Amino acid sequence: MSKFNFPSIKETNDLSNLRKEVRNFITKSLNHKDFEPSADAWVFSASPEFSKKLGSMGWLGMSFPKKYGGNERTALERYVVTEELLASGAPVAAHWIADRQSGSQILRYGNEEQKKSIIPKITAGECFFAIGMSEPDSGSDLASVKTKATKIENGWKLEGRKIWSTGAHIANYMIVLVRTSPASENNRHEGLSQFLVDLSLPNVSVKGIPDMTGQRHFNETLFDNVILSEDALLGVEGKGWSQVVGELALERSGPERFLSHFTLFESFINEFKNILIKSGSKLIGKLIAELQTLRRMSFSIASMLQNGESPETQAAFVKELGNKFEKTMVETLREFSNIIPLYEWPSQLQNLFEDATLRIPSNSLRGGTTEIMKGIIARQLGLR
Amino acid sequence: MNEELGIILETTSKILNKHVNHKLRQNIDNNNSDLINLWSEIEQLGLPKIAVKDKFNGSSLPLSTTLPIIKLSNNIGAPIPLSETILSNYILSESDINPPSGIITYAIDVKNLKIIGNEISGELISVPYLNLTDKIVFITEIEKTKTVILIKNSGEDKELKKNFLSEPRYNLKLNKCKILDIKPINLRINFKHLGAIVRSAQMIGSMEKILDLCIDYCSQRKQFGRALSKFQAIQHQISEMAIELSASSAALSTITNSDDLYKNKKDIAILKIRAGAAAGKVIAISHQVHGAIGFTQEYELAYFTRNLNSWRNDFGNESYWEDLLGKDFLENNNQNLWEYLT
Repeated sequence: MSKFNFPSIKETNDLSNLRKEVRNFITKSLNHKDFEPSADAWVFSASPEFSKKLGSMGWLGMSFPKKYGGNERTALERYVVTEELLASGAPVAAHWIADRQSGSQILRYGNEEQKKSIIPKITAGECFFAIGMSEPDSGSDLASVKTKATKIENGWKLEGRKIWSTGAHIANYMIVLVRTSPASENNRHEGLSQFLVDLSLPNVSVKGIPDMTGQRHFNETLFDNVILSEDALLGVEGKGWSQVVGELALERSGPERFLSHFTLFESFINEFKNILIKSGSKLIGKLIAELQTLRRMSFSIASMLQNGESPETQAAFVKELGNKFEKTMVETLREFSNIIPLYEWPSQLQNLFEDATLRIPSNSLRGGTTEIMKGIIARQLGLR
Repeated sequence: MNEELGIILETTSKILNKHVNHKLRQNIDNNNSDLINLWSEIEQLGLPKIAVKDKFNGSSLPLSTTLPIIKLSNNIGAPIPLSETILSNYILSESDINPPSGIITYAIDVKNLKIIGNEISGELISVPYLNLTDKIVFITEIEKTKTVILIKNSGEDKELKKNFLSEPRYNLKLNKCKILDIKPINLRINFKHLGAIVRSAQMIGSMEKILDLCIDYCSQRKQFGRALSKFQAIQHQISEMAIELSASSAALSTITNSDDLYKNKKDIAILKIRAGAAAGKVIAISHQVHGAIGFTQEYELAYFTRNLNSWRNDFGNESYWEDLLGKDFLENNNQNLWEYLT
């Protein structure tokens, strides 16, 4: 089991000061009514203006190199900033994917020109990304993607469709996982490649799919023989699978996996503190213990990322445990409505609760299902 | 320090692996010469006084540093009162009492204690390994002062307590028992906190072993023409155990790496909650995937799961610590939850 350790990392004074700085910024933004705290804000609540403000504070692309407009700060500093933003329910959806994973992929695999043109815009909060992994026939079985890129003179021709592309309707780019050659018989992971696709190119169409709550964030993105330049290939042709696996460690390990509905939890406690003291301290204590443990694990992964490690398995632990925590939290609140009926809750709290109840099932689907997470862990345990 | 700890761990591992087998666990008594030999090597290594002050000939390591050693001992499944002796000696030493040599144990709880002169009467509840030693430490309040008392049990009314344990545990009635030493306790933390930390480390060591047992067993055992480990239903169950274990280990590493245990009361509560909850799931899943063989004395799984059942209830179960943690936050009116957590 030693390979799944989560070494304890202490929050230094510098990090605590950064935390305070972000918190002050958020308090001011709330006072100016720049945003209304919302549930699942990193998926649903996009505000290009707010993203731009964060960029001007130096809080996007924090760890990126200075020569590309980054701030050369640590993954731990980025962790602290994202935690504060999530805990306040701030509208971070516009830049979330660019800041979390796409920027890092470009820095790792992109050419100089791409780094120079795109990275500074990401750190300024002016360039947004969508994820191009799932397809109508490829969900958990990601290696079965059928979207393909064919080599043509001076470039590539892209053909196929991606689905559940959250935010593609406001994004500038999508990193698209495609087949560039057929899978070999004994290794389906061969022949996949990643492409950096400008969504404003001709023959790209983005069509919204309302989710079950009626909101727009999902899209289907169609690539109808899109002509890409030579350098749209991101990284190495045929090595798309290992590239995408690295990206998933960034995608799965962060605090959004357990702080998506924190605003609900905190507002609930603030509202019912007096009743909870009498009859709910055990339930609240249990949730606090789990949440604090998750924070430690996720922070520990940030430190592994900082040290250049690839904590894909650890990320699966955090994602699975985090999803489960949020489900339990919402369920605990629901049971409490036995004491104070839901219709007597303040309307804003009712809204947060109803939103969370509806959205909770998506937690353990997006970014890899529970079944996939457990499969990854089982493989590492030597069971598969 | 890390290097020193590494050497101690390596040596401890060698000694334990040399002596511990499943047969040893089935005869935990001081007529078992194998057990006595094992303990004497542990004592030569200095482990019982590892957290005892220099002036009492101890190694003076912080208690948090001893946790990896305690965890290791229960990962190998050594049926010896190492954690009990380390913790008892630590409490004596911190309260300026020179710890006696040899095995020493504590009472987890006490009832109706009365002291007259140099003699004490009353009940000691849940005393582990009393069959291997006659020296007992316990803590009680005397005139609002927390006090540590050391006694030598001289064949009093002792009753083997029937509970979950594979390890021996007793309740004891004291009748004018002579007090060897008594001092105000010099700790900024409750005995319950210390016990919770140590028991959690023991649980985590045992759960690591249980996970290994499950992986080995399911990889070898074939049903329906293939190894159990190839069934997705089994894989997911074992992954679930690994998830629970990793969360508990993360909670333990916060304590192991803390500079000052006494400032970390919240984290101690979190550790006991997390490890206790994990133990519940690990017990259920490990028995489920093992089938009937896991339900026998002959196979070693039950030794570990029975201990888990006991330790998760010692020094406050999950509910006790959850309530305490919840109250600690809710009764502090100035902080919202996020401030409290960060």
